Amino acid sequence: MNGLAQKIALAKWMVAGLRRIGQISITVRKDGAFSLTHREDTARDDFTAYSAVEDAAEIARFDDAGKYRPLKTAPNLRHGWQLMIGDLSGLRLALDLFYPGRLAAFLAEENGLLETTPLRESLERQSGMYRAAAKIRDEEADKLVGNFCRSDGGCLRTILWKRDGEGAIASTQLPPEKFDPQHDQTGLAEAVVPLLCQEACNLLVAEARKMVKSEGVASPAE
Amino acid sequence: MISRSNSALLIVGHGSTVNPDSSAPTLKHAAEIRRREIFADVACCFWKEEPSLRDALLFFRDGTIPEVYVVPNFISEGYFTRTVIPRELELTGPETHRSSGQIWKYCEPVGNHRGMTELLLRRAHDVAPEISEAETSLLIVGHGTSLNDNSAAAAKHQVEKIRALNRYGTVLNVYLEEPPLVSDWLKLTETRNVVIVPFFISDGLHSDEDIPAMLGIDAADRRSTGAPSQLHGRSLFYSTAIGTDPKFADVIIEQTETFRAQRLEPQSAS
Ligand code: SF4
Repeated sequence: MNGLAQKIALAKWMVAGLRRIGQISITVRKDGAFSLTHREDTARDDFTAYSAVEDAAEIARFDDAGKYRPLKTAPNLRHGWQLMIGDLSGLRLALDLFYPGRLAAFLAEENGLLETTPLRESLERQSGMYRAAAKIRDEEADKLVGNFCRSDGGCLRTILWKRDGEGAIASTQLPPEKFDPQHDQTGLAEAVVPLLCQEACNLLVAEARKMVKSEGVASPAE
Repeated sequence: MISRSNSALLIVGHGSTVNPDSSAPTLKHAAEIRRREIFADVACCFWKEEPSLRDALLFFRDGTIPEVYVVPNFISEGYFTRTVIPRELELTGPETHRSSGQIWKYCEPVGNHRGMTELLLRRAHDVAPEISEAETSLLIVGHGTSLNDNSAAAAKHQVEKIRALNRYGTVLNVYLEEPPLVSDWLKLTETRNVVIVPFFISDGLHSDEDIPAMLGIDAADRRSTGAPSQLHGRSLFYSTAIGTDPKFADVIIEQTETFRAQRLEPQSAS
């Protein structure tokens, strides 16, 4: 039951020492249970303890300042918690609440089945209020992605998509390691389960739209 | 209870980049359905949150899962169910055959469920259990206009059905953005008791702030005391959004049942 393929993959990653994912550290205890904490919290012991898988959604919902986190892969996971999970099924569900969909993406990539979608294609596909996003110019997209997706303060995912069907890089303003699944995007240089980005998220599309719209006002001659 | 030990369930929600409560009911219903172990796997995806609908294309890649039921956690058919969800999930009709052989079955949104009227009535009763319904006005709140969907029509349809039951003194539609407006409640009703139920999928800015402000009540009352707000000599009983009802877990499961039953029915001549 319950996502067998993902569970097997997760067990394999644990054995292979991939016990970091995003900002989370996973400790496998002697009794087979898993203890999850913020990676920057491994030395502290004044945690708020949680033990229900679904608590992961609550922990992931707000940052340290109590602000809502619309992007779960943003580097602003809150501190001061410890989540104890009894088994692999629970671990899979919890990680899927912390970093939704990322286990499936990594598994697909390992199996050579992860298709990526160029940014232009994602933008062209939009309808309704997001249709305008496709009007973004290449230089603007380059700048936007360079800022919005950067690991330092933006998003901890590894970008796998290209800007267009020709294979242009997503942004020239990002370092080469932003596109390397082996690289630990937190900068802590540990072995990680990477958070892959196979296609631009809705937040980036919304930002592209904003850029196009604000420009429409600023430079009417365009 | 049915068992679908080799089917998966994908619940599609709207989600929000600003409202932390938006996806909470969808996640809760998913957890409840998962607990019942009816499906081999249960996942959610959201238009405005993660995992995205595009991410969901990578789910359930398991040779042991031949079919995936997709249930939109939306109040009505409309732009999202007709345009966005099929496009993003690459659905070509009620049944989509993937290259892997897996079949994705696109069910109707939860708001279409035949038990929705009953749920609204139950909500209305639970928020004001002691009052006489015949001397009470029931207001069903919809969003109205601007939203590119048929939620107003769906709310209207529910009101007609409830009215036909002749249980409440008055049953009315009110809206946030089109007349009759929520703020006109005093003009629209004559009874001492007024029960208000938001026909929304989740609580959030609309039901926590906009509606209470339009009613003129303190939203915190609803959560803390459960007692009605007293205003202009009336008692206002304000319920949480219909979609937060735990029964929605059953509704989601039953939408997959309905899909199956409809496909089993012999096709008509057309
Ligand atoms: S597009 Fe990908 S890398 Fe950029 S912010 Fe969205 S999820 Fe992160």
